[in-house]
Amino acid sequence: MDYSIRAANVEDCKDISRMIMELAEYEKISEHVKITQRDLEQDGFSKNPFFHGIIAEVPEQHKTKDGHTKIGYALYFFSYSSWSGRAVFMEDLYVMPEFRGKGIGKALMSKVAQLGLAAGCHLLDFTVLDWNKSSLDFYHSQGCVDITANMGYHIMRCEGEALQHLAQP
Amino acid sequence: MKFKIRPATKEDCKEISRMIMELAVYEKMPDQVKITHEDLERDGFCQNPFFECLVAEVPEEHKSTEGFTVVGYGLYFYNYSTWEGRTVYLEDLYVMPEFRGNGIGKGLLSKVAQVGKKKRCVRLNLSVLDWNTPSRDFYAAKGARDLTDSEGWHFIRFDGQNLDNLANEAPED
Repeated sequence: MDYSIRAANVEDCKDISRMIMELAEYEKISEHVKITQRDLEQDGFSKNPFFHGIIAEVPEQHKTKDGHTKIGYALYFFSYSSWSGRAVFMEDLYVMPEFRGKGIGKALMSKVAQLGLAAGCHLLDFTVLDWNKSSLDFYHSQGCVDITANMGYHIMRCEGEALQHLAQP
Repeated sequence: MKFKIRPATKEDCKEISRMIMELAVYEKMPDQVKITHEDLERDGFCQNPFFECLVAEVPEEHKSTEGFTVVGYGLYFYNYSTWEGRTVYLEDLYVMPEFRGNGIGKGLLSKVAQVGKKKRCVRLNLSVLDWNTPSRDFYAAKGARDLTDSEGWHFIRFDGQNLDNLANEAPED
C-alpha cells in the first residue's frame, strides 16, 4: 500500500489528538488523557516547541471508513544523556490497526532515528509497558536494548500534590 | 552549611563534567561517560539548548579538600507527555559525598521542580538504578512513584550500530 511520511504541521493536531486517544485506549489508560488538540497546537508549534511530530498518510482511495487519511504518527523530542550527549526520545509511535503489517510503524520509527542522527543524537530512547509483548518483540527485532531489564533502571515520577510540595521554595 | 543554588554558566561546564564522572563512578559505570565539558558547553549554551543545569555552590571557606566550591548539580530538560502535556525530566542530581546531609540535594531537586512549575510542567520524571536504595528512598520520600514497579514501564534504547541501521531504513522524503 502506498503511504507517505512527513513532518507534522499545526493542522495535523486534530488527527494527532484523535490517534493519541486511540493509543491510550489500546494501552488501557484512556482516562489519563488530559491534553487537547489546542494544547498540542500550542506546545508543538510555538517558538520553542516541546515536541515534534511526523505523520503517516495514505492516499484518498485508502482512507478509513470514517474518512481518515492520516493513519499513523510518531511524536518525539530531544533529550540529553550526561554520558552520551544529545539524544532523541520517542514519546509515541502509533499506526491505526487496519493499517498495520505494512511497514508503516517501522518507517515512522526509522524516520525519527534519521532525524535524530541528523541533529547529532547518539541515542533513541522510549518506553514500553512490560505486558505489551507485540511492541517489545517488534522493537527487539530492530536491535534495541531493554535497559530496565538489563541495567535495572526504574522510571520514577513526581506529580500532583507531591510535585506542588516539592516546588515550594 | 551555607550554600547557593544558581543556573549554571558555560564556565561551570568543567565542574559539571567532573561531577558527571563522579556520579558515573558511584553508579559503577565510569566507562560509559563519552562526553566532555566542550560537549556540555556546545549543547547546553547554544540557541536551542538540549538541557539546562543548576549548580550548588559553597563559599570559599567551605571548599572541598581539592579546592572545589561547585559541589553539586541538577541537569534537566523538557519532555512532553501526550496524556498530560509538559514535563520536566531530571537527568542527573548529584552532590559530592562530603557535602551530603546539608539539604543541598533537596535544594537542587526543589529548584528543578520550581523551574518546571514556572514553565507549566505537570510532571517531573527521572530514572534511578534498582540497587540504588538511598536514591530510591530519597525520591520516594518526596512523593515520587516508581512507574516501573507499579505500572510495568521499561526503558528501551537504540544506540551505536543498531541506531544507524534503523535510520538507514527510513523512507526517502
